[in-house]
Amino acid sequence: MKKISIKVNGEMYVREVADSRILLHFLREDLGLTAAKEGCGAGECGACTIFLNGRVVNSCLVLAAEADGSEIVTLENESKDGSLSDLQKFFQKHQAVQCGYCTAGMIMSVKELLLRNAKPSVEQIKDQIEGNFCRCTGYSQIIDAVLDASGQLDK
Amino acid sequence: MNFDFDYCAPQTETELLDLLATTKDAVLLAGGTDLIVNMRSGLKKPTTVVNFKKIAQCHQLEFDAKKGLVIGAGVTVNNLLENKVVKEKFPVLAEACHLLASHQLRNRATVIGNIVNASPSGDLPPVFLCLDASIKLVSKKGERVVSLKDFFLGVKKTVITKDEWAKEVIVPAASADAKGDYKKLTRIKGHDLSLLGVAVVKGKGFLAVSVNAAAPTPVLVGRYAADVSMETVLSDILAKISPIDDIRCSKKYRLFMAQKYAKDIMKELAL
Amino acid sequence: MYENDKNLKFIGKDIPRKDTLAKITGEAMYTTDMVLPGMLHALVKVSPYASAKILSLDTSKAEALPGVRGVLTGAELDYKIGLYLVDKDVLAKKFVRHYGEGVAAVVADDLKIAQNAIDLIEVKYEPMKPVLNVKDALKKDAPVIHPDLGSYDYFEPCFTPKPGTNIANHTKTRKGDVEKAFANSDYIVEREYTNPAVQHVPMETHAAIVQWKVDNNIQIWSSAQSAFTVRNLMANSFKLPHSKIKVTIPNVGGGFGGKAGVGIEPLVACLSRKAGGRPVKFVASREEEFYMLPRRTGLVYNIKTGLSKEGKILGQKMSLYWDAGAYADYAVNVTRATGYSANGPYHIPDAWLDGYTIYTNLPYSTAYRGFGHVEFSWGLERHMDLCAQTMGIDPYEFRKLNMYKPGSTTITGEEITADSGNVRKCVETVKEAIGYGTLTAEEKQIEAKGKKIGKAMVTFKKAPAMPAFTGSTTTIRMNEDGTVNANLTLTEIGQGAYTAIAQIVAERLRIPYDDVNVTIYCDTEHDPYDWQTVASKGLFMSGNASIKAADDLLERVYKVASEVLRCDVIDLDHQDGKVFIKHHPKSFVTFAQVAVGYAYPNGNGVGGPILGVGSYIAQGLTNLEKTTGQGYPALDWTMGAHGVIVEADPESGEYTIKKIATAMDLGKVINLGCAKGQTFGAVVQGMGTGVCEGYIYDDQGKLMNPNFTDNKIPTSKDVPESLEFYPIETPQIDGPYGARGIGEPPMVSVASGIGNALKDALGVELLNLPIRSEDVWRAIADKENFNLKDYVTKK
Repeated sequence: MKKISIKVNGEMYVREVADSRILLHFLREDLGLTAAKEGCGAGECGACTIFLNGRVVNSCLVLAAEADGSEIVTLENESKDGSLSDLQKFFQKHQAVQCGYCTAGMIMSVKELLLRNAKPSVEQIKDQIEGNFCRCTGYSQIIDAVLDASGQLDK
Repeated sequence: MNFDFDYCAPQTETELLDLLATTKDAVLLAGGTDLIVNMRSGLKKPTTVVNFKKIAQCHQLEFDAKKGLVIGAGVTVNNLLENKVVKEKFPVLAEACHLLASHQLRNRATVIGNIVNASPSGDLPPVFLCLDASIKLVSKKGERVVSLKDFFLGVKKTVITKDEWAKEVIVPAASADAKGDYKKLTRIKGHDLSLLGVAVVKGKGFLAVSVNAAAPTPVLVGRYAADVSMETVLSDILAKISPIDDIRCSKKYRLFMAQKYAKDIMKELAL
Repeated sequence: MYENDKNLKFIGKDIPRKDTLAKITGEAMYTTDMVLPGMLHALVKVSPYASAKILSLDTSKAEALPGVRGVLTGAELDYKIGLYLVDKDVLAKKFVRHYGEGVAAVVADDLKIAQNAIDLIEVKYEPMKPVLNVKDALKKDAPVIHPDLGSYDYFEPCFTPKPGTNIANHTKTRKGDVEKAFANSDYIVEREYTNPAVQHVPMETHAAIVQWKVDNNIQIWSSAQSAFTVRNLMANSFKLPHSKIKVTIPNVGGGFGGKAGVGIEPLVACLSRKAGGRPVKFVASREEEFYMLPRRTGLVYNIKTGLSKEGKILGQKMSLYWDAGAYADYAVNVTRATGYSANGPYHIPDAWLDGYTIYTNLPYSTAYRGFGHVEFSWGLERHMDLCAQTMGIDPYEFRKLNMYKPGSTTITGEEITADSGNVRKCVETVKEAIGYGTLTAEEKQIEAKGKKIGKAMVTFKKAPAMPAFTGSTTTIRMNEDGTVNANLTLTEIGQGAYTAIAQIVAERLRIPYDDVNVTIYCDTEHDPYDWQTVASKGLFMSGNASIKAADDLLERVYKVASEVLRCDVIDLDHQDGKVFIKHHPKSFVTFAQVAVGYAYPNGNGVGGPILGVGSYIAQGLTNLEKTTGQGYPALDWTMGAHGVIVEADPESGEYTIKKIATAMDLGKVINLGCAKGQTFGAVVQGMGTGVCEGYIYDDQGKLMNPNFTDNKIPTSKDVPESLEFYPIETPQIDGPYGARGIGEPPMVSVASGIGNALKDALGVELLNLPIRSEDVWRAIADKENFNLKDYVTKK
């Protein structure tokens, strides 16, 4: 067992975890933050995407022990005081969500992109989310949501 | 994970090398993008997992006109891809990084991990081979620098001994400003392994060609004079690669595409 | 229930979905997220062989492991499961029939212990020669995979198993005299086309939590698509009253047919019983999703077409060999459903069809978006191009000559009318969208650089595959403030059904969309019946049920209002949450006043809590006559077309899909964003079938690619530069507001569109899916061996 101190969505947590504990499972099962999902457990599908120290990662491929001392942000942090973030509003407006299983990871990936690139091109958007599988939408409305969120969609 | 192991994260290189010298069955954790996948599938069941990324110097990424480009073991693929000097001086390396896996994976996967895994289809080895890179291995007994062309022994096999740490990759300054491309055959446009990849790099007085996923190890086809003929390169490719049929691709198509990509890049370079 | 209402407020509008809010915040709960007090965890031990006799199974070491609460093997589970053909055991008994079939299961305190226990189970097998394709399965000396087929229960009115063979069902369609038609034909064109099995790949794998409580009360939480079907099949298998079984379905992370019937629920239920009634959770790994849970049927499709010298189809003989894998429950119905549809929207005066559902030793199959239509369309639309080529006619002109128009008849003898949907308009629309027959300046530039542009149009047609007597229900309760709650069990699996239902209810009641709440979770104990969430029948059936429920609710509101306002019901109307007298609009009562009972100033009450109920059953459909397949199987036909543009390298076979334009006669758009989302999602899923997906086995039937490393699905980078959607609206007279089902149809024929566009670009003849660049490269080399005469007989 390892004792870890970890900041998740601005809150400090100190917990004992098994050395082999996967960060995604720690977040979902120990902290009850279930927005991030497990779609493959092998880093291919991106449903478990979260921020780890400012960058998005597949949390199914990170050990909780390794996240000791780090800062994590998940989808649960996105709306504040009961209101949606702009990005969430654009996902809603463009119907960028169907079954919703990829959504937590998708929004995290897109958020990272917009933080470093205020006006990404379609190609850059596709590049950013190629590791976030969506089986429902065909990605089109997700791309529209990001273009609109970055003020690039012609009315 | 459905089995137990000990996790440790040494803070200094000395601690790390002590650990490697004394621990049986330890594996090094870099980005985890291969190790954790393999542990999940039961392919690897180590008793100890050693994360070396707390060692500050492993994140070193520097270019120096004498030493060349030094890439520490903790440098991620995206670190390299986003680095200004790399983009300017080693554009082919940046291109290969971009074609490697997905953005999230590149945020974790390390450059050195892509090399020491010794996967026949690794995306970065062909470019590093063309750039005449070498790898620095350290252990309690000392350190050695191995040229990448002598580094790979077979599928998932390298010259690294159990007590050694692959500390950095070094690309000689003489390879800076080389132009070229890395082309990769995939099943989809999105992230996929290389079914066959070709790097052709043209630098000061040389042209180098390397191929992956066409032999047990990445193959340096040759490092030639800059004006080498297309015919020489193509016949060398056929002579030096030995692709197989597998569920991803046939041997015949690999042979065809290796030549096609080499041709395409050489034509682009001639323009 | 189409009314030509020009003043629709919600129908046809792009309104945000009802389920989005919870999903974009992470609040939405899925079965995989759930944790219950005392919950245990399960894992399954699976077969490494495609066909083997189980010689011995020793679970003693696993049972002795601390923390293990139960181990099960097939020997103690005497239950057969199935909807149409009851052929599957909960765990394999005596024989394993496919790689990855469950042979034992463990329930333990945590997954680590469960994994250790699984590793301690010792199984001895005697491997047998597996049957790995449909042609081998039909050979006289082929091993019979289900020797007991003759004793299995099945739905007799629709299916015909052949005991003693590997044929789980033989579907026949006979229309007119096909031999005579061939005799009258100037050309006979015959070729065979194949599809491999593929995976649905819902992002949420199959998951269930089951608690088998005291007195056989079973609570199931599941990622299933159809709450009542899970309940029904469980009750049948375990011989328990339906009232004892409760199925709850929270949010579902995608279904696509893979979760249509019953999956892992019976096993998890038995594990809970074994563990003394504690709740047990099982979540399939991605690998198990590929080999343990069902996949799509494979298909070998032989088409023989007789053509007149003008290029008219006179007759067509269709032989479909469906690879069902080891169990054929849903596959028998895929065979039946394509038995009335495998001609696409083309008029075949004389038709002969044989559909065979065939057992093989491969992972078993089930429904998948399109229900066989994606598979047969690959062959059919490639074949239509071959027919055009035979006649020397442009593929578009050939289709125009043979496509359905009012007066055409389907191969089961149903007449196509002007209200059936306008497939011709769809084809014309996409023809224009892709600039068929011309090249743009940009395309000319691409060709100048040595690449080739290819363009093709393909059609699609799909009707729901469901029992003729399928029913759906909606209930609507009025809340104290006049808002309403609608309940139904058309599971929201991402398709947007609940949003459409809310729009319909708001439209009917003339209240704000936000005042309609639709309960997303389904629960067999609280919600009214629906058969299943499948077949693109949800909007049609539940839409109509919801209209009826809203009207029923209004009738009750009107009754109270007429009493309070002392007027006749006929003089009442409603708007903005009020019921008023038409000729004295100022005399009104509000919905809120009557919602739970109207109270007079002195305290007297009338009415009572208001509840509207709407039941809808498919009307006029018939079982198909078993020897001829004639009858009325189709609730509605959704027809449409794709236009596809590809750019291809004539040397290497590498290609890029530049554009897919889709026109679909959906009757009436209910929600534009949802319709677009269904269309683009289906198109990209269809691209997966076309470009990269498919099961690959070794020569012993072991699945070689049960993962995303070697079974790719389309990513964002695979999406064409341009996806276009053109809704065409020919109202379906009995559809809700004129609407038809749209979930599956746009997936049909995407793959064939890619195949035909590549043929146009490079002249390559592709007969198998998927089309990897290597396959195109091979086909380029094979061009010189192609001889039309090999497929065509000229009379």
